[in-house]
Amino acid sequence: MGLPLLSLIVFTPVAGAAVLMFLRSDDAVRWTALAVSILDLALCIAMLASFDTTTHEMQFTERRLWVPALGITYALGIDGISALFVFLTALLGSICVLASWVAIDLKVKAFMVSLLSMQALMLGVFCALDLFLFYVFWEAMLIPMYLIIGVWGGEGRVYAAFKFFLYTLAGSLLFLIGVIVLYFNGGETFDILALTAQDLPFPVQSWLFFAFLIAFAVKVPMVPVHTWLPDAHVQAPTAGSIILAGVLLKMGAYGFLRFSLPMLPEASVYYSTLMLSLSALAIVYGGLLALAQDDLKKLVAYSSISHMGFVTLGIFALNLRGLEGGILQMFNHGVTTGALFLFVGLIYERTHTRSIAEYGGLMKAAPVYTAFLALFTLSSMALPGTNSFIGELLVLSGGFAANLAVGAAAVLGALLGAAYLLGMYRKVALGPASVGARFKICDVNAREMAAILPLAVLVLWLGLYPKPFLGIIDVSVKHLLAQVHDKGSGP
Amino acid sequence: MTAAALFQSALASLPEIVVITGACILLILGQLVRRGQEHFLVWASVAIVLIAALATLILSGEVRPAYTGMFVADRFAVFFKFVFYLATILTFLLSRKYADIEGIGSSEYYVLLLFALSGMMIMASATDLLSIYVGLELMVLCTYVLTGFLRRERRSNEAALKYVILGAVSTGIFLYGVSLVYGLTGTTQLDGMAAAVTGDPLDPGLLLAEVFIVAGLVFKVGAVPFHMWVPDVYEGAPTTITAFMSVGPKAAGFAVILRVFLNPLVAASDVWIIVAVIAVVTMALGSFVALVQDNFKRLLAYSSIVHAGFALFGVVAGGADGIASVMLYLLIYSLMNLGIFGIVILMRNGDFSGEVIEDYAGLAKSHPGLALLMLLYLFSLAGIPPTAGFFAKFYVLVALVERGFVMLAVIAVLLSAVAAYFYIRIVMVIYMREPERTFDPALPPLVRATLAFTAAGTIGIGLFPAWFLRLAQHSVLTADRLNLQ
Repeated sequence: MGLPLLSLIVFTPVAGAAVLMFLRSDDAVRWTALAVSILDLALCIAMLASFDTTTHEMQFTERRLWVPALGITYALGIDGISALFVFLTALLGSICVLASWVAIDLKVKAFMVSLLSMQALMLGVFCALDLFLFYVFWEAMLIPMYLIIGVWGGEGRVYAAFKFFLYTLAGSLLFLIGVIVLYFNGGETFDILALTAQDLPFPVQSWLFFAFLIAFAVKVPMVPVHTWLPDAHVQAPTAGSIILAGVLLKMGAYGFLRFSLPMLPEASVYYSTLMLSLSALAIVYGGLLALAQDDLKKLVAYSSISHMGFVTLGIFALNLRGLEGGILQMFNHGVTTGALFLFVGLIYERTHTRSIAEYGGLMKAAPVYTAFLALFTLSSMALPGTNSFIGELLVLSGGFAANLAVGAAAVLGALLGAAYLLGMYRKVALGPASVGARFKICDVNAREMAAILPLAVLVLWLGLYPKPFLGIIDVSVKHLLAQVHDKGSGP
Repeated sequence: MTAAALFQSALASLPEIVVITGACILLILGQLVRRGQEHFLVWASVAIVLIAALATLILSGEVRPAYTGMFVADRFAVFFKFVFYLATILTFLLSRKYADIEGIGSSEYYVLLLFALSGMMIMASATDLLSIYVGLELMVLCTYVLTGFLRRERRSNEAALKYVILGAVSTGIFLYGVSLVYGLTGTTQLDGMAAAVTGDPLDPGLLLAEVFIVAGLVFKVGAVPFHMWVPDVYEGAPTTITAFMSVGPKAAGFAVILRVFLNPLVAASDVWIIVAVIAVVTMALGSFVALVQDNFKRLLAYSSIVHAGFALFGVVAGGADGIASVMLYLLIYSLMNLGIFGIVILMRNGDFSGEVIEDYAGLAKSHPGLALLMLLYLFSLAGIPPTAGFFAKFYVLVALVERGFVMLAVIAVLLSAVAAYFYIRIVMVIYMREPERTFDPALPPLVRATLAFTAAGTIGIGLFPAWFLRLAQHSVLTADRLNLQ
């Protein structure tokens, strides 16, 4: 195909943002942003339709010299792992536009421009095949995200935006040093595939592993460096939370998959126990914190820490089930938690409170809302028939195979998940009506439905028939695993 | 000196001659300019610089040594001269309206800037400690006067006085170092020094001389421990002059540092350790003190200290890539810093000074375009991609890691994370606060053009750094005297 499909996917939102600059009315801005994001989604679906699931090779590759003097190229390409996240990003992009339709009524144009630039940069991260290009996309995301949280966020938005910015910046800068060290140790190239083929000495791998770990752990976020997340989530507008939970947190895990595992296989194997323990800690600690929350958004935010623990646990189990489960959970978490943040946003728009204690009996006032909320709550709990069940099962079985104690901790985390999620649902939806009495609350409208339905379909589709999704990642994951175990058989 | 040699020398220094002659003519013509005709001065000054630039371009084909080893016109000098031209022309364009408002639009203002420019050009080309001294003094004497140009303001007078006294001391220190070198080696030529130093590695007297010369030069770029003058002088000087000083003379200082220290001394001693320590301390001090500044000009002063520190890391790295990284850094820094100063300058209107950071609260609401530009410059200064500032830092880090200084690179990036905080704080004030006043910036076409140009540079070099990188590397490699490694 002569068409640079990936460049189109990445730069369509940029072009859309440029068009928005010239529009005057807020409604025109909203409709254009929606059209652009749907067009982008359509491009992604077209890409998936012609995606070859039988090869682990990078597909739709594009390569142009960018800074020849330093061996930097503009290189894009995707394999099964990135394909899944390109799709997720584009899907959540459209949903974010819908979710901010009425929630954002100040500086709509600037918001939509930020949102679309954010989408372009995230897509760029998943498509980049050059480390320098990857870093540019990765780091540039800070600008729109900082503005989204800081300008359109809640009361404590400025503090939250600062914290988000500085945490990620400090982490990423060490990653940058790691990238440069890798450049000089890997034959002066930024080409990700060429670097993957290198065999670095263990001490170098070891140092790089920790340089990368800091950057990725901040994004995931793993437990000691997770404190920016609840602040950012709680203060961000709904669309910001969806982006954060749906895509941004995936970037860290994606970094492990794309860089740490294939480029530093020995170090990854050597430090896998450490990573498993940190993941187990995140699962249990995040679950306990979620259990103690009264703020609905905080609860979902802390549950994210727990769920992302499952992802890293699956990844560093370093076996097929663990890896596939981890990747699937990344996708599931994007869908489910994205949806949960959307639901928090919907109810906040109506009641202007996020305190769980003030809700209750929503079932009567908003039956459709609560029905879908039930679906996503169950999905977050990983009930059979929903998407997360498949992923969590794979992660747990991979985790047990890797380390019994860690597996046991993960099961405990899953139990905690059931506890806080069921508790949340009971207090919000069931029981005597309180909100319905004090606030005027109406059920979801057609626009909101349009945002919810695709996610609900994905939840059930993945839960009942996960094969197409596993099929996309399968070959790439097997290849990745072979890379790790071929080269990474211990120092 | 034969007539032919004299002609060759004059030819090599033609750009300098053009600027100095032009400045002298303008000094006379300036007396005849009537009130309301001041724009003539701007265009005449710009024309002089453009003619000099044209001469530089025409002569840039080959290396031309001149004045019996005092002076050379090589690619290295050409690169720096173009940075100076850029800084000077943009300063002229920014000055017009500001000079009207402040009532400093007399011809001396432009003439002094032109003389300062010629001083910087001599510094970039000088290959002898004495010609360096001549260029240096020509430059700083003009900036002393320009700093005190707001005659009615106490702050400006005080800044000028402080600058003169401290500058004189640092010049004295520099001259003492030069005299030591002359006493010990019998020469002040850089090449001769190189030979003398490599002959006898660690003469303690020479080491002392090095330290004195370092001290004199470090003062000019505003690095620790000779940074004390920077915030006061930057704050007190007219903002246009602050903008000029933060890029032009600083680049000139680095031109000399690169020529002096990467030539004779790297081979001879571990002088890079001194420079590394200076770089770390400079960045640390600049970043942490900037965190608590309320005055925009003071903050930018500390920011310029931080950037001097970062560029010094490139000097530490040395080698062709290290030198090229410093050069590219200075070019990019000039663009983004003049951009941000441009905005500060155009804020000066009526009774509004635009010097307090809080003044900018809610700028995004009333002037979205200006706010967006400011956002661009600030993120570029903080080194966030895809802006040029990121590439500047990136290349310095590449040079550092290439030479094995990974720890220094880590320190450099951690300190830039601290520095990022105060740039982001300004973004916060602009975007996340409600406006407390109405803005009425002075936005004449010249200022608009300047801002457009610097913005295009800040984005353009960030997205397409290849050409500029090659230019910097090219300028280093053909300056064979620098290519020691």
